Amino acid sequence: MNIRIWIYYFKHAVSNILSNQWIHLISIGTISISLLLFGAFTLFFVNVNTWMVEWGQSLSMSVYLDDGIQRDVKDEIESIIKGLPGAEITGYISKEKAEADLIAALGAQAGLLDGITSNPLPASFEITFKDRKEHQVDAKRIKVFLDQLEGVDEVQYSEQWLERFEDLIYLLKLGGLIVGGLFSVAVLFIITNTIKLTIYSRRDEIEIFKLVGATDWFVKMPFLIEGAIQGILSGFIALLILFLAYSLFSLKTVHIFGLPVMDIVFLPYGYILLIFIFSLLLGLTGSFIAVGRFFRLLG
Amino acid sequence: MIQIFHVAKKFGTKAALEDINLKFQKGEFVFITGPSGAGKTTLLRLIFGAERPTEGQILINGINLNRINRSRLDPLRRKIGFIFQDFKLLPRKTVSQNVALALEVAGERPSIIRKKTRQVLRAVGLAKKEQAYPLQLSGGEQQRVAIARAIINDPLILLADEPTGNLDPDITREILLLFRTINLKGTTVVIATHSKELLKNTDQRIILLKGGKIVS
Repeated sequence: MNIRIWIYYFKHAVSNILSNQWIHLISIGTISISLLLFGAFTLFFVNVNTWMVEWGQSLSMSVYLDDGIQRDVKDEIESIIKGLPGAEITGYISKEKAEADLIAALGAQAGLLDGITSNPLPASFEITFKDRKEHQVDAKRIKVFLDQLEGVDEVQYSEQWLERFEDLIYLLKLGGLIVGGLFSVAVLFIITNTIKLTIYSRRDEIEIFKLVGATDWFVKMPFLIEGAIQGILSGFIALLILFLAYSLFSLKTVHIFGLPVMDIVFLPYGYILLIFIFSLLLGLTGSFIAVGRFFRLLG
Repeated sequence: MIQIFHVAKKFGTKAALEDINLKFQKGEFVFITGPSGAGKTTLLRLIFGAERPTEGQILINGINLNRINRSRLDPLRRKIGFIFQDFKLLPRKTVSQNVALALEVAGERPSIIRKKTRQVLRAVGLAKKEQAYPLQLSGGEQQRVAIARAIINDPLILLADEPTGNLDPDITREILLLFRTINLKGTTVVIATHSKELLKNTDQRIILLKGGKIVS
């Protein structure tokens, strides 16, 4: 490999970017926004996936009790639950505690409950199942079993919600892929047209290069590098903004109904690298298309 | 060096050249003359490989231009210097950068590029203008920059299209002297011109074209 020639290509690519600053600034800005949206989508999916894996590992269940349940029936239910393999009661939430939690969660909107004279919330046992695989815990069978016990009003478990959520995630993933694809096409379009503009602004120069015996690749290479630089710079800017936004957002704990919920993680290194490679490839492909079209016109 | 056999060139239905047969020996100095539209520029562009003939064959140093692909045409062009009527200089590059271009595309080492650029600019009398930009130069000086760029590769053939078209008689004589010096080093020089000043008192071969045909 002739390093001298590559230095020459890079110098020309950089000088081309500097002499067409505005076109490149606008282009890099637009590509960065597209990649930022793409990165935000990826960040969202990465986090949702992490949460789903964490939730999937431990099963939690709420056993809602009938109103006015007798103490001995309640004790009976408690002892049955304790006898279930891998089950552990993490808490008993009385009707009063449930109401107090709801009022705390509603905060300023607690006034909504003013018209309600009696407490409609049921008491419940909160259960978690550990080492699910080892104990071969079948959530559906346990639900059916507990549902038919005297004094049990309803049984809900996290997996039910998780199963419904998985369908939603699948739809979101599909939507993300379509949106990502459209963004990629848009980015390709922007890069192709930016490079095309810079090529046309240097048309005379290219003609002279060809007349003094430059090979096609000698002329093409600085433009390809220009596209690659655009792609990488845009990827870097997009990831930087995404990281800053993430840092700001992750300083606050996410609360849902007054409860601190899951940690938000940033993109793993592998994903960051993938976004860089993706930006680079988009830049290269865009400039390759532009250069190819120009040389076809040149004959 | 240059062999042209039964060459014709048409642009659409209009014939620019018809049945041209010519041979130029190595180190020859030739003028191609004729009125405007006679086909002088077209003939030079065919020799340079910028156009392909509609009929006939052109051989440069034994290489048939009809059968050559683009990747082989580029290195061949580095052996042919072409001086354009409108100079074709890059306005945003200095004189020195414009001249160095021909060596840069050949992938020459920077130290050699610097050395040869200085040498050739001295040879055309522009040593003191190497940092100037083309638009800061007179027409004659711009022409000499174009000549410097065309000869920096020590080409086998030098083609010049109306090289003194816009220049006054004194500068025309200077430029002609420069071509003769280049020719003395063994370069085949082919000049397309309708300048009487250039053709005056010359003992070189003159080819007269009219309506796309060789008249004499």
